[in-house]
Amino acid sequence: MSGLNTIVINGLALALPLLIIAIGGIFSERSGIINLALEGLLGFGAFCGALFAYAAVTWHWFPANSLTPMYLSFVVAALGGAAFAVIHALLCVKLRANQVISGVVINILSLAATGFLTSQINMTVFGGPSSKFDLTVAPRYTVSLLAKIPIIGAAFARFYAFEVLIVVLVAIFWFILYRTRFGIHLRAAGDNPQALDAAGIEVTRVRFVAVLISGGLAGIGGMCFAYSIFGSFSSAVYAGYGFLAIAALIFGNWKIMPTLAACLLFGFAQSGANQLVLWLRMDSSVGDLAMIVPYALTLILLAFFSKHNRAPRSLGEIYDSSKR
Amino acid sequence: MVHQHFKLVSNYTVAENIVLGAEPTRRLIGLAGYVDMRPVNAAIAELSERYGLSVDPTSVIEDLPVSTQQRVEILKMLYREAEILIFDEPTAMLTPQEIGYLLDIIATLRDSGKTILLITHKLEEIKQVADRCAILNHGKLIATMEMATSSTADMARRMVGREVIFEIDKAPARPGPVVLDVRGLVVENEHKVDVARDVSFQIHAGEIFAVAGVAGSGQVELADAIAGLSPVKSGTIQLSGRDITTAAVRQRTIGGISYIPEDRQDVGLILDFPLADNLASKSYFKPPFSHRGILRPEEFASYADDLIERYDIRCSNGAATLTRSMSGGNQQKAIVAREVEQDACLMIFVQPTRGLDIGAILAIRRRILEERDRGRAVLLVSLELDEILALADTIGVMFAGQMIKVAAADTLTREEVGEYMMGVKQS
Repeated sequence: MSGLNTIVINGLALALPLLIIAIGGIFSERSGIINLALEGLLGFGAFCGALFAYAAVTWHWFPANSLTPMYLSFVVAALGGAAFAVIHALLCVKLRANQVISGVVINILSLAATGFLTSQINMTVFGGPSSKFDLTVAPRYTVSLLAKIPIIGAAFARFYAFEVLIVVLVAIFWFILYRTRFGIHLRAAGDNPQALDAAGIEVTRVRFVAVLISGGLAGIGGMCFAYSIFGSFSSAVYAGYGFLAIAALIFGNWKIMPTLAACLLFGFAQSGANQLVLWLRMDSSVGDLAMIVPYALTLILLAFFSKHNRAPRSLGEIYDSSKR
Repeated sequence: MVHQHFKLVSNYTVAENIVLGAEPTRRLIGLAGYVDMRPVNAAIAELSERYGLSVDPTSVIEDLPVSTQQRVEILKMLYREAEILIFDEPTAMLTPQEIGYLLDIIATLRDSGKTILLITHKLEEIKQVADRCAILNHGKLIATMEMATSSTADMARRMVGREVIFEIDKAPARPGPVVLDVRGLVVENEHKVDVARDVSFQIHAGEIFAVAGVAGSGQVELADAIAGLSPVKSGTIQLSGRDITTAAVRQRTIGGISYIPEDRQDVGLILDFPLADNLASKSYFKPPFSHRGILRPEEFASYADDLIERYDIRCSNGAATLTRSMSGGNQQKAIVAREVEQDACLMIFVQPTRGLDIGAILAIRRRILEERDRGRAVLLVSLELDEILALADTIGVMFAGQMIKVAAADTLTREEVGEYMMGVKQS
């Protein structure tokens, strides 16, 4: 397997989970609610999913080597992320709290709460001191016929099952955002909530649902990382991918397709940097430098693209139906 | 109801805005319902055609000029088959050509059987399209008249009706040299429409120059331009012989302009600051308030105590009172105190008594006369004709952005001023 193929394979395995998290962010922000809590939401979702999968394997709920616990863990992660997002939705939509502060605090809360719960549950329920839930790394698949195509073929080689799931979800949520009544209401809520209110649609309800969706999608994204890069759930899952997703959706101008491009760029930047370390036979202590690449790229792109960006017009504005 | 401020989603098409909340859906392979705009686009294009609105249902709102956005609001009501259409000051943001077009549309709607309620300040619009009109003055219904049988002069007279009179003694003016000299001033609003057009006048020391006009005639923009709050498009402003057309606000303040703005809470005061800080907010950078760049709070406090005493500002906690907690009348007294203490040669008062009780109104009107008698030039902008007639030495009437009449106050009658204000009479 050539290095180029590795870059594509690893790049996609990073870019697609990043994309589903970013789409979660898009749903929240297009409805007018700033969501800096993506990092915390993906962590909490991954915690719930990993707890479920770990329990299922430990207590033999399913036959040995069954993949069912893994698939179900994604459902649990989505529910967990959505449940944790209720905090953000309650604070920002119902109680009109400051959305930036709420998001930042939820990140810290999520990191602290899952860290505490993981050690406690390990100690009391599973009977062993550990600060993580060990999972296997998910199996990879190859469509051998398509994988033979040069370069593009790498996209069909050694992919995770969740990558397929994400492609399907992206199509579904693109349709919801741009082609359904709910999507129209959601985008209107982020531009001119007064107009939506005047049209007889409850703005708070639309925004509440939008924030829950963002939690669910972030949870799925977090679970993907737990099953790929980390192979476990621990506080290492909080590696900044939530913030990278926010950067991606901003470069993507709060639109799904451009955000896909931004995620691919970040994914390939990281896998490319990793490959470079291998080629140059760098020392592992220097190799960590490669981890900087996506973030450095973020800073550089920010400098160039920010001026072309247009955020949803009412993003971050607390909706007050009496104000005109 | 067509609001003065449109309720439109800026990144949606015209049609999407019109059906917002009641979008037509179709089933995709018998499953998910998706929104299908094609029938809506066709229906709206047809409506637009029928009433001569010329709106393309597929264009995006933010690309459209204000006048078209307004027609989208009209289409919204027509699409929902409204029978009664209410227009609240629909022409406030339009250019003269656009106004003519809108009035034509309103007439077309009337002819096709709709009921129209038009709320406006402008007599000419009523003359052009109305069948009947009701005149309101200070919340009271003065008269309901058939347009066919009433004269515009009669309407103008009723619109400016007299309020309860309370006299203030006023000594004759003793005008000195020219303080403010405005020539050919043109001011644009944020929509790039000229709201003050080719305005020229002079104010002398010891003279009250009052600008009369119905709301939105450009008088507030004129005052803002002189105070430096909005840029001048063309023309010149001279203060005591010096050109200040492009001077910064701070330079104008030091050069001798003090300004009592129309919106005392947004422009005049920082409501969450203590009273002392607000009273010193135009002089904090000068000694004794600041010494080598360091503020001296004790000077703020003693200055505030002095002003509270002399200007009778009622506040619960002296210099430390939170400005927001004070009544509107006392907030206004605080602004007047600050501005009078500037010792400026030109004082601009915009709607200085709006929303105040009679006691506070009298106090402020007396203060304006006192300042005149101390030899200051006063520019007074007011929508209250009574206030203008009670205080002015010279009256300038603005109509549709132009200063159409400037004359000594004692040569004009109330009715004449009213007719100029309504544009019935041209000089």
